[in-house]
Amino acid sequence: MRVKLFAAYALAALVLMAAAVLTAPHASYSRQDREAPFAAASRKHPAGTDALGRDRLARVAAALLLSLTGAAVASAATTAAAAGIGALAAFGKAHVGWTAMLICDVFLALPWLFLLMMVRSALPLTTSPASSAAITFLVLAALGWPACAQAVYRGARNLRNSEWMFHARAGGLRSAQMMRSVIPNLIPLLLPQFLVSIPAFVIAEANLGALGLGIGEPLPSWGGMLLELDNSATLFDTRWVYFPVALLITVLLLLEAAAGEA
Amino acid sequence: MRPAVAAVKWLARTLAIVFLVLAGSTILVRCAPGYLSDAREMDSRYADAARAELSAEAARSGSMLHMLSSEVSGWTHGNAGISRQYGIPVFELIRPRLAVTGGLLLRSLGLAWVLALSAALLSSAGRNPSMLWQIPATVLLAIPTAAMATLCLLGDRGGPVFVMALLLAARDFKFLHRALRKAWLDPHLLQARAQGMRMYRLLVAHVLPATSPQISALASLSIVTALSALVPVEVIFNIPGLGQLAWNAAMNRDLPVLLAVTMMMAVAVTLAGMASDHPPGWRSA
Repeated sequence: MRVKLFAAYALAALVLMAAAVLTAPHASYSRQDREAPFAAASRKHPAGTDALGRDRLARVAAALLLSLTGAAVASAATTAAAAGIGALAAFGKAHVGWTAMLICDVFLALPWLFLLMMVRSALPLTTSPASSAAITFLVLAALGWPACAQAVYRGARNLRNSEWMFHARAGGLRSAQMMRSVIPNLIPLLLPQFLVSIPAFVIAEANLGALGLGIGEPLPSWGGMLLELDNSATLFDTRWVYFPVALLITVLLLLEAAAGEA
Repeated sequence: MRPAVAAVKWLARTLAIVFLVLAGSTILVRCAPGYLSDAREMDSRYADAARAELSAEAARSGSMLHMLSSEVSGWTHGNAGISRQYGIPVFELIRPRLAVTGGLLLRSLGLAWVLALSAALLSSAGRNPSMLWQIPATVLLAIPTAAMATLCLLGDRGGPVFVMALLLAARDFKFLHRALRKAWLDPHLLQARAQGMRMYRLLVAHVLPATSPQISALASLSIVTALSALVPVEVIFNIPGLGQLAWNAAMNRDLPVLLAVTMMMAVAVTLAGMASDHPPGWRSA
């Protein structure tokens, strides 16, 4: 419980810090300082600049907020879809449940990274950065629900076979009335699924971005920043910048993982 | 239910999954908004007429039925279609890379399972399982595969097998630790330990048989995880395997190649699932 509380507070502190960095006067993640590419830390750029002279601190802060928001929204969509499908499969007729679980099996048999690459590579060449971000997280949400739906299905089946549900059915309660009691009982199952999906989506986006198939420039993303590591000469010249960024990413993901696991 | 009927039902379900994966992948790609656009249409070296012809050709070959039938006929002819980028049968591109990727996967999975099982046995059998076992696994899972591979490459420490094995071992360890810990805390095992029975004997005679269904399911999950880690690892370490081929196809919008590789991966995942999920008849037989 202590770990969970600490992780939640630390995560909130990181988000507030990122918001403070972005709302500071003259802070911009996309403005280029053409005279200062790869600049060292200074009062103007506390974490230096990248190859195009953009402020690294603002980019890291924006990437944090974008990644977390996108992952949280995708996770919420995934959890909602899983809750709907899992409950429908458990409480619907036998053939509905069988079909829903078959669809889950089909999705689980699809290697998600290859599917993501396939869909991302088939997007129009003129896709805007904001659309690319939205589509990336939408695809993550669309592919992330089956495992969660199977967990919800198992939980809902147990509920359906519980004694109080037999009493409710025997007492003549309609399905809609029973669902009002079922959904609160599924929340302990759905909340961990929601929390566990967030770091998974953050890592998935980072991996896609590192392959050049994530969020489009000039929007910042951690995957896109990892692409900069391709140039080892740049890395060794500016390693003092990357280590804090790498540390921040690791700490953030650890906090999310701790919040999800606790 | 008779074992033979159960086995037939199980086989039919598995085949249905493979077919639905093929149809689902094709529909997903066809419905992607930019499927019909071709990078050559934006190339000013092509004349307007040539670009219009490219566009018309894409529209002609873009019907769902045409795509599905060409995909199925490509697989039945054994060439898996024609690569848009290279203009040669996709299977000619895949064949030399199968051994490379297969070798990488086998070595990574082997090393990962040795690491994960050893760590899980040690951590689960202890009286007070320490956080020292959990923290490295959580840290490893928190680092994106691409970042881990890049750091290993730049630091000149470890290789592709090392990176994949670490990632897989971290994931497997968490599941294995939980399953083995639960088994060790069973009342009859606690009593046997209190009576001084040897740990090795308990492990071989009770713990491993009791956890074998979970271990078997985890093995198939490991393959899925390994396939997902394959792309960043092969791209960053420049290994000419299927992951690199898929990435190259994605960057050059060579969808027949990407679709074929995805299909192969999906079949591999389904077969792995088959291996861990025996037909119900086998269990009752």
